[in-house]
Amino acid sequence: MVTAAAARTGDTEQTLVIDLPFPAEEGRAPFTRADVVFTGVDHSGASYEVRLFLNNPAATADTPRTAEQGYAGRFTIFGHGGCYGDEGHCEVPAPSADPTDLRPAHPLTPLDTYVTITDALRRVLADGGALRTVTLVPVSITPRRADRRPAPELLHFTEVTLRTYLTSTEADAEPAGQ
Amino acid sequence: MGIRKSVATLGATELSDLRDAFAAVYGLRDDRGYAFYAGLHGLPLPEYCQHGTLLFLPWHRAYLYFFERALTDALRRARDDQTVAVSLPWWDWTSSPAHTDGLPAGYLADSGAGDNPLAAGPVTLDDADLAAVRENLPGAITDGPNPVTVRDPDVPDELPRTQTVARALNSTTFSGFSTLVESIHNGVHGWVGGAMSAVPIAAYDPVFWAHHSMIDRLWYLWQISPRGANPPAGLLDQALAPWPVTVRQVLDISKLGYDYAAQVIG
Repeated sequence: MVTAAAARTGDTEQTLVIDLPFPAEEGRAPFTRADVVFTGVDHSGASYEVRLFLNNPAATADTPRTAEQGYAGRFTIFGHGGCYGDEGHCEVPAPSADPTDLRPAHPLTPLDTYVTITDALRRVLADGGALRTVTLVPVSITPRRADRRPAPELLHFTEVTLRTYLTSTEADAEPAGQ
Repeated sequence: MGIRKSVATLGATELSDLRDAFAAVYGLRDDRGYAFYAGLHGLPLPEYCQHGTLLFLPWHRAYLYFFERALTDALRRARDDQTVAVSLPWWDWTSSPAHTDGLPAGYLADSGAGDNPLAAGPVTLDDADLAAVRENLPGAITDGPNPVTVRDPDVPDELPRTQTVARALNSTTFSGFSTLVESIHNGVHGWVGGAMSAVPIAAYDPVFWAHHSMIDRLWYLWQISPRGANPPAGLLDQALAPWPVTVRQVLDISKLGYDYAAQVIG
């Protein structure tokens, strides 16, 4: 697990580079599925997507989304596009400890999401390689396509974790054609 | 209510009925009308929609259910015919036609004679909300009085692929399925662009409902698959405000009076 504070800014100052070594210790850790899990992701601003590149700290919004570049997948955040209430309306309160508080969670409560990177991680590990970094490339999804650009200011999260699973069920198998 | 079909398979009469139904709800300014239903998703406040939580799928199922009923009510009143009914079609954005042509032809402005109510929806907000939308989300709605929704779609082949949906359908937990399907859903909102790209006004675009019918259908397909599972027990009796139903009450679509026409994904 890595906190957002431990991430460093990429060369262009438009990306975040996270040290996420795997296998973390000596020896191979077998897996049938690997996810990069994000917690506490902000969705209060414009919509945006985050592209993930493995072992490519120089990746930018212009980097092709190809296996050769270490591209592993992306997630998209459906944003609220700003605050439409009065002052304080969009401030998310801390979770209530009051068992009689039946009010629903604030709509802007940060969310959790994940990107499955199984194939990309396997490519990195082929021939004895190892995962060192994951580069996060945030790109805005504004109403007008012409306005879309690198948007590091939109990406806020609490933690990121690489989670691997070892399962042998049919349900966890990758669909044909991957 | 009936069978929800792919937009690609709607007959001429079905498409005409759907357009007339949307035109009818556009004309209602009270709590039977389009502004009321579209507004529940975002603006005007309060915002009821659920995103980033495990209520995403149940809440939107209830949303479609009540709006679909409103469409039929409006059409019956407009035609003075209590026998007519409409169902919300789904837009299969994984299909080959979608990856070639993008948005479904029935939802385009130039797909037929006259104005197509499915090409854009009226955004009936007060002046303060309209000003905020125009400032925060330029390009989402038209300028001037009586604004309508705008789209700015990406290239068709950027839509989600069959393999991506298959991965979601292979999920073994409700939370895993919900999170992955919601991420796919988010991407389509961004792909359409314009009003669809932002929570507060997305539901004003009529293609919103076809997109969410696809999402609801995927949930249904997962539910009837060997991997399908209920949401966590602690969620089942949660209310889906403002709808007078709980999560448990929307799990079985046969009890909601609709079904999905059989069609192979892709």
